[in-house]
Amino acid sequence: MTHLTDEQFEDVVQARAPEPAHLAECQSCRGRLAEAKAVRERLQSAFGSVHASPALADRIRGALADAGGSAAAQRAVRRPMIWHLPRLAWAGVAAAAAVLVVAIPVILYLTAPESASAAQAELARIHAGNLAANHRIFSDADPARLADYLKTQLGFEPATPKLGQGMAMRGCCVAHFKGRAVGSYVVETPRGPLSIIVVPQEPQAMGMTEHAEAGGKAFWTGAFARNSMVAVRLGGYTYCAVGEVPPDLLTQILLNLGLNARP
Amino acid sequence: MADTKDFESVAMPHLDAVYRAARALCRREDEAEDLVQMVFAKALERFGSFAPGSNCRAWLLQILRNAWIDELRHRHVVGPVVSIEESRPAIADPPHPEEAAWSNAEDVLDNFSDGEVRRALGELPDDQRLTLFLVDVEGLGQEEAASITGVPAGTVKSRTSRARAALKEKLVAHAKELGWLGRAQ
Repeated sequence: MTHLTDEQFEDVVQARAPEPAHLAECQSCRGRLAEAKAVRERLQSAFGSVHASPALADRIRGALADAGGSAAAQRAVRRPMIWHLPRLAWAGVAAAAAVLVVAIPVILYLTAPESASAAQAELARIHAGNLAANHRIFSDADPARLADYLKTQLGFEPATPKLGQGMAMRGCCVAHFKGRAVGSYVVETPRGPLSIIVVPQEPQAMGMTEHAEAGGKAFWTGAFARNSMVAVRLGGYTYCAVGEVPPDLLTQILLNLGLNARP
Repeated sequence: MADTKDFESVAMPHLDAVYRAARALCRREDEAEDLVQMVFAKALERFGSFAPGSNCRAWLLQILRNAWIDELRHRHVVGPVVSIEESRPAIADPPHPEEAAWSNAEDVLDNFSDGEVRRALGELPDDQRLTLFLVDVEGLGQEEAASITGVPAGTVKSRTSRARAALKEKLVAHAKELGWLGRAQ
């Protein structure tokens, strides 16, 4: 006797095909069918009580509202920039238009708030990956050695954080952000671990908002999931501190970043 | 540019389905929540390519699946080399047929809590876990599940069948440990 194949069997379980005559005469296939239906029903009931929490729904709605708000703000700013130009400037505008036709799709991709939200999600993902137990991390407590390692991986030597006050370097990692390799430091703090991710993108292109100035530098903030984010530009790169720690701690560690003066 | 209000009205009704799928894929609740938030961020980014009137739930679940694969690839690239199939504990050899038979499958299954059933599903290999979730929990058709998982419908059928058998083996083993299987037979 030939039993039902997996494909025949699944069609019967999903009620996409009538029960073959074989089932009437095969106790084994009937038993298998009863078990499959029972497992299917039990799985459905096991997930029946699983719902997204109101907090998660609020978090997502908030992120969507932020994206919409940023888009509206950008539109409000752009309009007067065009219409308040002097007449003579229109010739220049016309010349620039040809360039913009090519550049606008790229600019929109880099600055659209939806992409910006995704950029912050990517930063949070890199941080989560840095903390994963199976993550490959170049571990060394000496920031200079970590900077050397990142130089071999990235082609430049990122600024290193100056630690203290109970903070310690765990190591550094290389990940991918918007299609290119980026480096990050992982720092242990008394409030929890954080990552300092070094990317070429400007903070505003990643949907961050300018928050404050300190030490002669502008600091930008963002957030994704439970992660706070603070960013600062230094040496042509953006240093994004990410972690489930208060933003002031992230700002503090970025204030103490120092470009390495070694040869 | 995507209209956020349109997106919200179309996508948010499927939040529970996306969250359930994320819970099926992720070990931890906070991981699942982060994955869901990432899915909605990516979906908003791509909302311009969503065809109005098409199956939004399937579209979101496809984004979820791709985001999850990206995550696994990321771990693969930067972490130890572990294939998707190997990233979960191997399924034990099938028990002897007589031992595995359930005289009354529903009675045995009802002994397990919802959490135990979900945990057993979570121990299956990633591909099996997602396919079984889509077909049995979300009740998607084989073609829809095939579109989401990127394999032919025939593969979905065989994978579903294997996944259900593997899940049963997990539960049988657990029931035997607890002495429930003996009482049920």
